[in-house]
Amino acid sequence: MRWTSRRFKALALTISTACVFAGGLKTGAYPQAPAASPSQQVAAPSASPADAAQNPAEKQKRMQTEFVVLIDASHGGDDRGVVFAPRIFEKDITLALARDLRRELEDRGIPVRLLRESDSNISLDRRAEIANEQRVGIYVALHAGFPGRGVRVYSPMASASIANKDANKDRFVPWESAQSASLERSKALAKTVSRELKKKNFDVSSLRAPLRPLNSILEPAIAVELSPEKGEIRSLESARRQNGVASAIASAIAQMRGQPGARP
Amino acid sequence: MIPRHFQIAIMMLLLAIFISGVFIIQWRHREQSFTQQEASVVPVSPAPGGSQEKIQLLVAYDDDQALRWREAEVFMPVDRGLRAREAMRALLAQYVQRPSPHPMARGADIRNVYFLGADTLVIDTTAPFADGHPSGILLEEMTLASLIETISANVEGINKVKFLVEGKERETLAGHADLMCFYQTATVHELAQEFQ
Repeated sequence: MRWTSRRFKALALTISTACVFAGGLKTGAYPQAPAASPSQQVAAPSASPADAAQNPAEKQKRMQTEFVVLIDASHGGDDRGVVFAPRIFEKDITLALARDLRRELEDRGIPVRLLRESDSNISLDRRAEIANEQRVGIYVALHAGFPGRGVRVYSPMASASIANKDANKDRFVPWESAQSASLERSKALAKTVSRELKKKNFDVSSLRAPLRPLNSILEPAIAVELSPEKGEIRSLESARRQNGVASAIASAIAQMRGQPGARP
Repeated sequence: MIPRHFQIAIMMLLLAIFISGVFIIQWRHREQSFTQQEASVVPVSPAPGGSQEKIQLLVAYDDDQALRWREAEVFMPVDRGLRAREAMRALLAQYVQRPSPHPMARGADIRNVYFLGADTLVIDTTAPFADGHPSGILLEEMTLASLIETISANVEGINKVKFLVEGKERETLAGHADLMCFYQTATVHELAQEFQ
C-alpha cells in the first residue's frame, strides 16, 4: 500500500507540473504551489512582510523567482529524535539551531522559511512535499546525534532508483529519486558548508547518507548533524556553538546563491 | 492511644512496602518474559550442504566512527540466500553481545532473506533490529553499510538490497536512515570505503 501511495504522490507531483505547463506558466520543472498558504506548518517568508498587500499575480511571480532557503528542524512532536539525556532531545536542539540559522540568513538578506516553528509532528514525506511545493532554492535538514564530536555534513546518497538514469528520462519522476537532478549541486553545497565550518575551527566530516527525505527533494538538499563534544552533552545546547555552526552554514549558502546553476 | 503522626508514618511505610511489592512483581514478570523469549528461539538444523568457513565481516566501531574488516568462522550453507543470512547473523551476534563495538538491542536478528530475481536481496529483520536501534544518522548508516558490505563480501552477484522489518516496509531504521529504498551494493561499497 505504501508503495502505491508513493507512486501516486510522484504521479500527482508530475501531474501538477504538467498542469502548470498546460496553463502556460513559466515554472520550469517545478510543481505549482497552491494559491493559498501551502501548509500551515510553513512559516510565512520572513523577508516579505508585505505579502498580504501584494496581489495574487505579483505574489505568484515573486514565488517563482525568489531564492528561498527552507530549514528543516528535524523530528518534533512525538518524534523526539535522539535522546541525549532525560531532558535533552534532538528535536529541541534542531529547532534552536534552525532559529539561529534563520537569523544568520536574514542578516545576509537571504529569504528563509522554517519548516516547523514549534514542537509539531510532520512526517518525512510531508517535509519533502512542503519543500517541493514551496519550490525552495536550498533545503537544509538539521540533526543532532551520537557518536563522535564536531559537525557532520551529509549530502544525499543515490539509491538504486536515483542511480538509474533511465527512470528520470521523462517527467514522471519517482518520489524516491526526485533529488537526482540536483545531486551534484547538493554535493557542492555540502562541500562549501564543510569548508566554512572548518574555517571556524569545527571538527568536520563530510559524508553521503541514505537519509530521508533528502532523496525526495527536487532542489539541492543537505543535512547538518551536530554532535556533542566528547562526554559533554550540554555542549549541544551551547548558544555560542550553535551560532558558530549557523553562521558557517549561512555563509556557505550565501556563496552558493551566487554560483552558476543556482536558482535566482 | 496511638499518636496521629505515628499512624501516618505506619501508613506511609505500608504504602511503600505495597509499591515496592508491585514493582518487584512487575520486574520479575519482565525478566521471565525475556527468558521465555530467549528459550523460544529453537535451534534449527543446518541447511543441507555447506561447511565451516572463514568469512569476512565489516564491523562498525562507534567510538572510532569506523568500519573494519574482521574474520569469523561460521557454518556457511551453499544456498546464496542462506549464506547471506548466516553472514549477517554472524555480524549481528557481535553487535548484540556486551560489550559491543556497535550496540544493538537484544533480539536484533534476520528473520529471513528473499531474492527478487537473481541480483536483488530482500532482508527481513526482526522488530528489535529497528525498534531497539539507537537513533542517529551515523549509527544507522554504519549498521546498514556494515550489513550490506558483509553480504557483498560473502555472497556473489547481489547488486541491490532492500530491508524489511517483521515482513513490512518501514520508513527509516531509527528515524534517519532510509529503509524504503533499494540500496545499490556498489554505492554502499564506495560509502563504506569512506569509513575505513
